[in-house]
Amino acid sequence: MNPTTLKLCLMAVLSLVGIGLYGLMICRNLIKMVIVLQILVKAAALGLILAGQMSSQINLGQSLGITVIVADTIVAVVGMALAVQVQRRLGTLDVDALSSLRG
Amino acid sequence: MATFLMLLTIGLPWIGAICVWWIGDRRPRWQHILATGFSVAAGAASILLLAFSSSGVALRIPVGGFFGDFTLVPDGLGVFLAVIAAVVGSLAVIFSVDYMRGKQQLGRYYALILLFIGAMAGLGLSGSLLFMFVFWEITAFCSYALISFHNDDPKAVAGGIKALIVTQLGGIGLLIGALIIRSQTGNYQILDFLANAASIQPSILNLIAFGFLAAAVAKSAQVPLQTWLPDAMEAPTPVTALIHAATMVNAGVYLLARFYPAFRDVPGWATSVVTIGLLSGLLAALMALVANDIKRCLAYSTVSQLGYMVYAVGTGSVFASQFHLLSHSVFKALLFLSAGAVIHIVGTRDMREMGGLGRDMPFVRAVFVIGSLALVGLPIANGFFSKELILEGGLMHGPRWAYIGMLLGAGITACYTLRMVSMVFYRKRGSVKASHDAPVAMRISLGTLSLGVFTTWLLAGAFGELLTGSLPYHQLQTSKTFDLALELLNAPATWLALLVILLGFALWMMHKQLKPLIVFLRPLSRIAENRFGFEHLNQGVIRIARSLSSVLRRTQTGQLNWNIVGIVGGLGIVLALLTWRI
Repeated sequence: MNPTTLKLCLMAVLSLVGIGLYGLMICRNLIKMVIVLQILVKAAALGLILAGQMSSQINLGQSLGITVIVADTIVAVVGMALAVQVQRRLGTLDVDALSSLRG
Repeated sequence: MATFLMLLTIGLPWIGAICVWWIGDRRPRWQHILATGFSVAAGAASILLLAFSSSGVALRIPVGGFFGDFTLVPDGLGVFLAVIAAVVGSLAVIFSVDYMRGKQQLGRYYALILLFIGAMAGLGLSGSLLFMFVFWEITAFCSYALISFHNDDPKAVAGGIKALIVTQLGGIGLLIGALIIRSQTGNYQILDFLANAASIQPSILNLIAFGFLAAAVAKSAQVPLQTWLPDAMEAPTPVTALIHAATMVNAGVYLLARFYPAFRDVPGWATSVVTIGLLSGLLAALMALVANDIKRCLAYSTVSQLGYMVYAVGTGSVFASQFHLLSHSVFKALLFLSAGAVIHIVGTRDMREMGGLGRDMPFVRAVFVIGSLALVGLPIANGFFSKELILEGGLMHGPRWAYIGMLLGAGITACYTLRMVSMVFYRKRGSVKASHDAPVAMRISLGTLSLGVFTTWLLAGAFGELLTGSLPYHQLQTSKTFDLALELLNAPATWLALLVILLGFALWMMHKQLKPLIVFLRPLSRIAENRFGFEHLNQGVIRIARSLSSVLRRTQTGQLNWNIVGIVGGLGIVLALLTWRI
């Protein structure tokens, strides 16, 4: 892999992570949060594939990436189901309403 | 053989704990029988173990990785602690058969006591600091759970929590010390550490020494952390006699004695140990002089006697401190158990309501007086020999001011002991009456212990041999029992101490005639009644912790976004640190 492609891929991973974290910090809507979480996990999957490429263990990297995608789908489904429950119970999707963690 | 016996001493009480709990509270008869059987068997195993003591590692089980090896070492100090735990433990369980007859939740009671006995034996026998810490914490947990045994009584619950928190402070000291030792010597083995202590950097050794000192101070209820012990008196009396007089509180002294060779040369360490022992010995004796609750009075007396042992370690008389530990655990268990018999029969702990009880319960009076003789330190009782040995060692090797303080403490001890005996058993009749003397099971354990008061000092020579034969790093001065007794009787220090003790007696006998002096000392006694302000110190710490937590509480917004900001921020800090290190 030539250095330019490597840099490009790294930047893609980092910017996805950045977008994901930024989104998690500012989003208040639960469904948006699930989507933002997906972006973060995609960054992780991309990072795994990139790492496999760099350490010339392409098979390992790509199969781990696919595993992450499968696992992440479940997270998304459960997250959405929870969002539906929250909407039914509280009548809102605002995460600030879920502040029973308050000390 | 030694391995097998050690495993029996630790394992039998634990198996017993499971059995007692499993048999259930609907069959209390079986619970009594099982608890007694298992604890007596453990006691027998521990006594047999005395014959197999050696300085080497007898059992080594690799646990792997960071945890190192689990080892058991049957050396003199450890076996001795295990014997005290198992033998006094079995006597306390026998006593409980009468004391707890017909009470609720016997399963919890016996299971915790048996768990404690096993853990205490393990604490002594463990050769690995990490596992010693684990046993140390199990004993702390049992102590907490048994203090709060009557969990519908808010005072008992508060006392338990207090004991748990204060002894945890010490536990942290022990853990830090153990981890530092791991980082320096590569494993947790006590023997390796004692062998290599001289090669550790002085500043690091300093840290370990004072960490262990903090552990000992908290566990042995020494000044300034002694406040948990009087509040622990809410526990059932056999528990008090076992845990808070005879065994667990000795763990601190044991720790100091065990590591004395390594810390001897740490600057300031010996002086701090002597100072702590002196302060505990004196202040606690003064508090015992004004306490009106019989168990509280005995608790202060325990703190004071533990102060003597700590002082002895500080002056280098490790043998004297361990010998006094043996005597103390026998006579103080006796005193606590006979106080328990009084409380059980009379139904109050306030000495002002008692008085003239000696006529109704001559047996209890007799054993209580025997225990008092030893506490005061009069000849033929075991307390005399060990206390004189401590004072003599202090005179020869310790600072003069500390010796004078401890001598004064011996006088005050005589005074408060006489006060206690006369308030409970003599005087004119108080408002409560005793309907009968102690029942059979109580008599068995009280009788055994009072026999011990007169005989354990005969073991001094054998005990000394046991210690010198199996402790390669300690330099102990011991001699045969007969020589020791002769030496003590010829030493002028002994007669001086006896004189001070008689003065203490006289002080209480004539306290009616000495009214002006007592009026003069009124402010002092008021300060002593207020426990020298240590309780205020505790309250202050609690207040600071509360206000700090109410400030920190604002960071817990409960909002997801803020928590994520915190996570990202933390990640950033970790990354920054990592890049900075590289």
